[in-house]
Amino acid sequence: MAIGTALLSAARTPRGAPAAIVLVGVVFAAIFADRLAPYAYDMQSLMQANLPPSAAHLLGTDEFGRDLFSRILHGARISLGVAVTSIGASVALGLVFGAIAGYAGGWADRLLMAVVDLTWAFPEILIALVLIAILGPGLGSTAVAITVGYMAQFARLARAQIIALKGETYIEATVGLGAGHAHILLRHLVPNALTPVLVAGMLATGDAIVLEATLGYFGLGAQPPLPSWGAMMSAGVGQMFLAPWVIVFPGLAIAITVVAINLYGDALIDALQIRNRLREG
Amino acid sequence: MTLPFRVTVLSAAALLGAVVSAPAQEVTFAITAREVGTPSYNPITATRLNSANSLIYDRLVLQDADQSFHPSLAASWDQTPDGMQWTFKLRPGVKFHDGEPFNAKVIEWWVPKFAGTENADTVAKVDRVEVVDDLTVRFHMKAPDPNLLFNLASSFMGIPSPKAYEALGDKYGVTAAVGTGPFKMEKFTVGQQTVLVRNDDFTWGSDLSVNRGPAKIKKITVREIPEDSTAFLELQTGGVDLLYTVPVDFMPRLKAEKSVKVMTIPGTEIVYMPINTQSAPFTDIKVRAAAAYAIDQKSIWQSLYGGVGNTANGFLISSLQEAKVDPKFAISYDPERSKKLLDEAGWKVGPDGIRAKDGARLQVKLWTSNGTEFKRLVEVVQSQLKAVGFAADITIFDASTINAQYKKKTEHQLAVRSYSWTNADIIDWFFAARRAGYPNVSLFDDPKAEELNVTAMTKSRTWDERVANFKAYHEYILSQYAFAPIYEPANVFAYSTRRLKLPETIRGTRLTSQTILDAQVSN
Repeated sequence: MAIGTALLSAARTPRGAPAAIVLVGVVFAAIFADRLAPYAYDMQSLMQANLPPSAAHLLGTDEFGRDLFSRILHGARISLGVAVTSIGASVALGLVFGAIAGYAGGWADRLLMAVVDLTWAFPEILIALVLIAILGPGLGSTAVAITVGYMAQFARLARAQIIALKGETYIEATVGLGAGHAHILLRHLVPNALTPVLVAGMLATGDAIVLEATLGYFGLGAQPPLPSWGAMMSAGVGQMFLAPWVIVFPGLAIAITVVAINLYGDALIDALQIRNRLREG
Repeated sequence: MTLPFRVTVLSAAALLGAVVSAPAQEVTFAITAREVGTPSYNPITATRLNSANSLIYDRLVLQDADQSFHPSLAASWDQTPDGMQWTFKLRPGVKFHDGEPFNAKVIEWWVPKFAGTENADTVAKVDRVEVVDDLTVRFHMKAPDPNLLFNLASSFMGIPSPKAYEALGDKYGVTAAVGTGPFKMEKFTVGQQTVLVRNDDFTWGSDLSVNRGPAKIKKITVREIPEDSTAFLELQTGGVDLLYTVPVDFMPRLKAEKSVKVMTIPGTEIVYMPINTQSAPFTDIKVRAAAAYAIDQKSIWQSLYGGVGNTANGFLISSLQEAKVDPKFAISYDPERSKKLLDEAGWKVGPDGIRAKDGARLQVKLWTSNGTEFKRLVEVVQSQLKAVGFAADITIFDASTINAQYKKKTEHQLAVRSYSWTNADIIDWFFAARRAGYPNVSLFDDPKAEELNVTAMTKSRTWDERVANFKAYHEYILSQYAFAPIYEPANVFAYSTRRLKLPETIRGTRLTSQTILDAQVSN
């Protein structure tokens, strides 16, 4: 099934439908945060700090009197933006490495996989922390850290797909007809290996949001006053008793988004019938 | 996320602590945030000491909240009119925790020990110590030092046992700390806790305590709790009986607790924003002044600190005479003046509200160290700077690495930090040209300031002269906008009335052994 059709049919399943609605909403909020947000995300009003949710401030205000709703909308842009771009980069790099390793085999395979396995041997958070320690805190380094942290699994998955496909009869036929390596890789192998990697990428986006939030929580991600959901939760810790909404709402935003991504991703796997192929990685 | 889980576990642990709570006369104190992680109880070489230090060591002299000096290990003192000799009569019958006698020989050994340490300045003007008799010492000075008594009363002047000090070398203060104070150090685990037991031989309490004999508390465990909310929960649930510092956020909740008493005493701290005077655009005094006038001390004091403590308008705590500068030098919020100064300096407002000059945006670096309070403060400062046209990029450093970053001298521009000290000589510490980088974060190097520094530090013969000289130095630093004052915290501590009863009036400049000596424990 083509991935486009699968996306739609996944959205029609009982699990996929609510998830898809939530995801469309979150993406919409991220894109139009500027227009939707009633206040600027960095507008402080110290005299209105820690107000509970009300008509003027739908989700209340934080310790600096900033509108929490506006900050969560902008936070969606940052959290989602960082997660999607870095997973995108991670998938692209993983595909390149995996395809070369799987297709070439031999020493190239061993060398590439040795490097990939090395990064896979450590938890993503550890790799991310090490990279940020080197690059310094900020959004850019967070994106790099997530890209590198997740690349191994995509490279492994892509390689396994390519190796499995390489032995198929139609590939042998193409070789027999005199096709070059580039043609075989780009026209036949990569397109056929793509679907499982993309779906794995989508599932990893949920994890990446959590990783971004964790890094933000430690103050290593987006720097103030930029709102990221993790950093907002971290700032809310001090107000946990005084103004619990400051920590609860960003936490809910993370939880809802991640659950939606996972549910939808799961529905997509069923629609594409690739559950077995995903395990090959 | 993992947080709610952690809180549950901690409260459970706290409850457990309350159930199996310590037997009578044993109490648990907690030090928080800034005092956590003090590496040693060696007062001679330390650059940081925590509140437990005063329970282990006595000093020659004590200072009260009104800045007056009181006898402690020195029973009396006397100086010659030219300020070149000080004679101290020592209190008889004082013994160290290891049984060694405290006498003139100890002082003769102790004073030279400071040479070459970070605290060398405290006794730098003492030329030599003469032992007159067993209980009398005379300091022969290189130059008069009107600040000598203050120095001798500082927390770094706790007197250790020479025998233990020499025997332990580098390990002194970690494996053992031997003083003459009302409590003996039983065990110290860096970053975790210090166990103190009563010194039953103690009979030399000062006149700042009602009780001059052994303390009523038998054993004190001083726990180190880095996170404010954890410390608060521990006090609420009975896991600790006293918090040395209470964050302002928790004051309303603590005040509502029937069994908790919250005490506020005058502070010893100033929160401020140093301005790197050698980093463009802050090489221009108008830009420095604009940054300084952009800080709204009053709204920070009211909303971030709930109106506790005071706004700061100078570099010194308000109880010092040198803090009373001519009002025209005091720095307080004036956004119009700030904008006007930036206009004059050629920085014009751009479309996004950020100013620019010759195509360069007014983009500056704003640093602080990790910690809830500083992180909050720095965001407010960022927003207030933006209101007059500065775009400030925040970087938050680990508390242990930020000073090394300052020492690079070229990296920083603005910062939010604080210091705790109760003497005007702190101006020398933070603004003398020879300390550029750190502690002179402002990289302030100005010939007139250096001249005023020399006068204040070395040419003052009497206390009044010293006050006048330091006031002039203080005013000049203010006029150069080497920093912006922000806030003067009060010292807030809290204790459980179920377990403790402290005197109503806290004597001394902080909550120290004088008050703990008078503390009553209930069962």
